[in-house]
Amino acid sequence: MTSAESETVLEVRGLRAVRGGAVVIENGCFRIAKGEYAGIVGPNGGGKTTLLQTILGYHPRTEGEIFLFGQPADRFKDWQRIAYTPQDAIHFDEQFPLTVRELVSLGRVRRSNLLRRLNGKDWEKVDETMELMGVSEISERRIGQLSGGQKQRAFVAKALALDPELLILDEPTSGLDASGQESFYKVLGNINKERGTTIVVVSHDLAAVFCRMTQVICVNKYIHQTGDLNVAERLLRGAYGNHFRFVMHGDCECCCVPEDV
Amino acid sequence: MFGDLFTLLGMSFFQRALIGGCLVSVICAAIGLFVVLRKESMIGDSAAHISFGGIAVGLLLGVQPMIMATVFSVAAILGMDFMKKRGIAQSDSAMAIFMAMGFSVGLIAIGLSNGFSISIMDYLFGSILTISGSDLAVISVLGIAVLSAIFILLKEFIAMTFDSISSKMNGIPTELLSVLFNVMMAVTVVLTIKVVGIILVLALMVVPSLAALQLKTSFRKTLLAAVMFGAFSTFTGIIVSGMVDLPAAGVIVFTDVAILLLLVAYKHLGKEPGNAVPPIKETKTFRT
Repeated sequence: MTSAESETVLEVRGLRAVRGGAVVIENGCFRIAKGEYAGIVGPNGGGKTTLLQTILGYHPRTEGEIFLFGQPADRFKDWQRIAYTPQDAIHFDEQFPLTVRELVSLGRVRRSNLLRRLNGKDWEKVDETMELMGVSEISERRIGQLSGGQKQRAFVAKALALDPELLILDEPTSGLDASGQESFYKVLGNINKERGTTIVVVSHDLAAVFCRMTQVICVNKYIHQTGDLNVAERLLRGAYGNHFRFVMHGDCECCCVPEDV
Repeated sequence: MFGDLFTLLGMSFFQRALIGGCLVSVICAAIGLFVVLRKESMIGDSAAHISFGGIAVGLLLGVQPMIMATVFSVAAILGMDFMKKRGIAQSDSAMAIFMAMGFSVGLIAIGLSNGFSISIMDYLFGSILTISGSDLAVISVLGIAVLSAIFILLKEFIAMTFDSISSKMNGIPTELLSVLFNVMMAVTVVLTIKVVGIILVLALMVVPSLAALQLKTSFRKTLLAAVMFGAFSTFTGIIVSGMVDLPAAGVIVFTDVAILLLLVAYKHLGKEPGNAVPPIKETKTFRT
């Protein structure tokens, strides 16, 4: 195994996934190295969520191979190295009696501390993660009373509480306004740089993906990957269709507008 | 009236009823909060109805009815879980099958025995005042075992109840703990039958938790409140029934429901518990 391969956190080869009888992912290949900040983009129904769920084993694959930290996903046991926040995480039962601090502490509940209470170090990590995600001020509020943006941040704090090596977030900014999204992606960038956490984010915010992330993965049944901004427009056309044009501002700002506008 | 109360409190059968009843209520409320949040209240009710078959078979065979009820109840809860997971039947259909089976087995056993209707009535409507020393010992041992398991595995049960997928990813043995929880629920149901009877088991499990959820506070405080409401209702129910000669099960459940209604009324009068803190503005400041 070469050193590049050993540094691979996630690799997908020839993936085919079927949902409701329809092929959602066909011959999908991509590779994410340690320390990358990768964005998954593509139109609704393009298979982004199915791709993540297949990688994590919630959805069966019909063909292909998935490797997590160099090990085949079927044999991978060290799931504590991965944190995942699903698209619908914030749509929980609002009557559930959890405060933000209790929610974030659930991120520290794992096999290694089974049958024992969270210790001082665990609670320090919980408080540090809440501070990082800007939810310390609301730590004693019930999660059912939070706004959409606050919920998103609390859930990401929960995911980060275990210090994962790979953080996977499915549309984490759907409840945030433009300024909230900008701050959110900035803090993810800092986590990526300072902690070396590999981050994979599904997003519809093309500007954030192109400005901040080191890899772009376009998913629309087929999967294309690039780390080169110049190749990105071609990939986006492949994913979104030719009736859109992609307007690039400066080095990285990108927006997607219909061809007739 | 109070003289009667002090006389009653000095009697060992009444003391056993108070200790056993309160202990069962505490377990019931603790398990009940998870049952309510897992949206599995009807599974508890099904287990109670299924244990009717176990009790009748126990009486017919001369085996301790509560042991047979526990066997029936555990088997049925695990059976319902199996049917649901294997896609054999939806949750509600699986419950219907087991409830019907439990009752039909019970009726057949009654028929075969040529009737033991008086004993069966005790189990249907509860008989907390007839609790024996050995009953209290069984309740204490099983009750402490269930409470210890909840205390030791509290964070895992909270995590699984809130988000079983993430819990599984973090390496928590969710399947195993789910089986353990189901067994604990079955045992709790059987212990509760002695206090309020098969018909009202669900109330003792669900109502204190629903009342505690009205407080809109943290998980641990909600759990504590549920346990306190449950114990208070049972204590009050037994005392009142002893003083004015009313069925204890009825008074216990009536007190439970009265607490729930009072909290709901308080909430709708605009003084919502747990909402005393004014909402703060959404912060968008991250540490960058």
